[in-house]
Amino acid sequence: MEKLLSILKSIRDDIDFENETKLIDDGILDSFDIVSIVAELCEEYDVTITVDMLEPENFNSAEAMLALVEKLLDEE
Amino acid sequence: MTLNSLNFLVFLGLVVIVYYIVPKKFQWAVLLAASYGFYLSSGLDHVVYILFTTLFTYTAGRYMQRLRNKQNLKIDALGDQITKEEKRELKKEVAKKVQKVQIITVLVNLLVLAAIKCLNLVIGGLNDAFSFFKWDASMPFINIIVPLGLSYYTFNCIGYLIDLGRGKHEAERHLGKFALFVSFFPSITQGPLFRFNDVGVQLQQPHKLDYNNIKYGAQLILWGFFKKLVIADRIAPVTRTIFAEGFDYTNGSQIFFGVLMYSFQIYGDFSGGTDITRGAAQMLGIDLPVNFERPFFATSMADFWRRWHMSLGAWMREFVFFPIMLCKPVTALSKRFRKTFGNHAAKMVPSVAAPMVVFFLIGIWHGVTWQYVVNGLYNALLISSTVALTPFYAKLAKWLRINTETFSWRLFQMLRTFTLLCISRIIVKAPNLGEAFKMIKTMFTSVDLEFLSGIDERIFTYGMDKFDFNVLFVSIIILLVVGILQESGVKIRESISKQNLVFRWGIIFVLLAIVIIFGVYGPEFDSSAFIYGRF
Repeated sequence: MEKLLSILKSIRDDIDFENETKLIDDGILDSFDIVSIVAELCEEYDVTITVDMLEPENFNSAEAMLALVEKLLDEE
Repeated sequence: MTLNSLNFLVFLGLVVIVYYIVPKKFQWAVLLAASYGFYLSSGLDHVVYILFTTLFTYTAGRYMQRLRNKQNLKIDALGDQITKEEKRELKKEVAKKVQKVQIITVLVNLLVLAAIKCLNLVIGGLNDAFSFFKWDASMPFINIIVPLGLSYYTFNCIGYLIDLGRGKHEAERHLGKFALFVSFFPSITQGPLFRFNDVGVQLQQPHKLDYNNIKYGAQLILWGFFKKLVIADRIAPVTRTIFAEGFDYTNGSQIFFGVLMYSFQIYGDFSGGTDITRGAAQMLGIDLPVNFERPFFATSMADFWRRWHMSLGAWMREFVFFPIMLCKPVTALSKRFRKTFGNHAAKMVPSVAAPMVVFFLIGIWHGVTWQYVVNGLYNALLISSTVALTPFYAKLAKWLRINTETFSWRLFQMLRTFTLLCISRIIVKAPNLGEAFKMIKTMFTSVDLEFLSGIDERIFTYGMDKFDFNVLFVSIIILLVVGILQESGVKIRESISKQNLVFRWGIIFVLLAIVIIFGVYGPEFDSSAFIYGRF
């Protein structure tokens, strides 16, 4: 989780990623942030996140993002 | 039959009655019959196009589903005989096939849309080219009908095919139910756009008669009528005059007045129409996507596009913006920039490329003219520059010691956005691009306060007299108060329903009286068509 949090902080250091659970629903992250996060996750974890995975439930919190990455790693 | 006509209200009333009387398993059939009845009222020849798109998209969807089902059956049959690796390879292979079908069918849908919308423009362009090169050739124009709701149902079908390809839902098996998804009558004229796994599913579900749905739906329709008939149609003669070809554009304040009025008109027209649409759907138990969230309160152009025609914005984000941003060349370039120049530069690469494509498409979606193309690029440039210059703005505000957490700053941002929007409106509303640039220049260089103050009464000679101005002024105040309440989180209809009986019905009757007495009605109560109906 710490690795993920540091990635997220490097993209938007003004957001409390540890506690926010409605990053998408409340419009805290914009489309550009999401794309930056996806690019970084793909790079750091060596996974492929496709457009169809860009669902709010996968990006509403750091925990959800980690779950998505773990699921993808598991499928590899 | 337009959405704001008496005919539509009678039609809707009859549909609602039949819809709740028939057994629930036939409700979808009532909606399909009503939708085709509504569509036929726009002309028999229109139906050919929607039928083609429906059948073509349905067949393509079924074929894509069959490919996927075959793959699943094969995997199930092989059971333990197939390794994880082989399973993945098989899925990849089928996904490629599905994607091929998806790309071809999306292109065919786009081609039909482009052919209907642009054929005569292309012919005109070719004829101009022939005469420029002094070739003795010319092609006759083709008398082609633009069917009702062409852009809306085509975009919904494209969304259906892409979502299907992405595995978001299965293909609809029932042709009739799919035809209803394409033709649902309240939204066929001017949207909102919707997805199959949301509205498509709702349209097939049984719906019980619910007093709240009927009440809230009717209230939303009434509010839509207020925006359309009392505000938008009252302003229409003014903008018709000021933006007409041959109008004398030497007075900048006249242009400012024209574009200010047009801003209210287009909002009243489009959002009013959407309210009628969403209200009608709610009476049938269908929850259509929200299309507007008080765009006049936007603090930046990006914020404006999050509040204006939201269903088109969502469609573009899902099916154009994200695919561009996440395609390999863009992510590779972005990664290289991040390593060399840091996060902000990395964000810049796609944030310049994607809005250009998205707004170019939004531009030509409205109309294939240079005015819409230029307007699209103007909006794209503003949005890209917002992303690019955000750190600079933050530093500037700090340096100038501006407190950005104040109402005055928010008001400044709103006025700045509104001014930028006025330029955008002039670009598309002017008789041509050349006139548009002249108008924008004059608006900022020639100010006539006497005209704007109304002292010399010239302002009352464009189709709205003093009485109309007073009605418009009060209406805009009502709009503003409702907007401020909604911005602060108040749910207007729910709040009204909690009030005492007399007050509750008082509000409804006053609004109804305003619409009946102060609404601007066209011949035989069939008021002027919606601006967005022609897209």
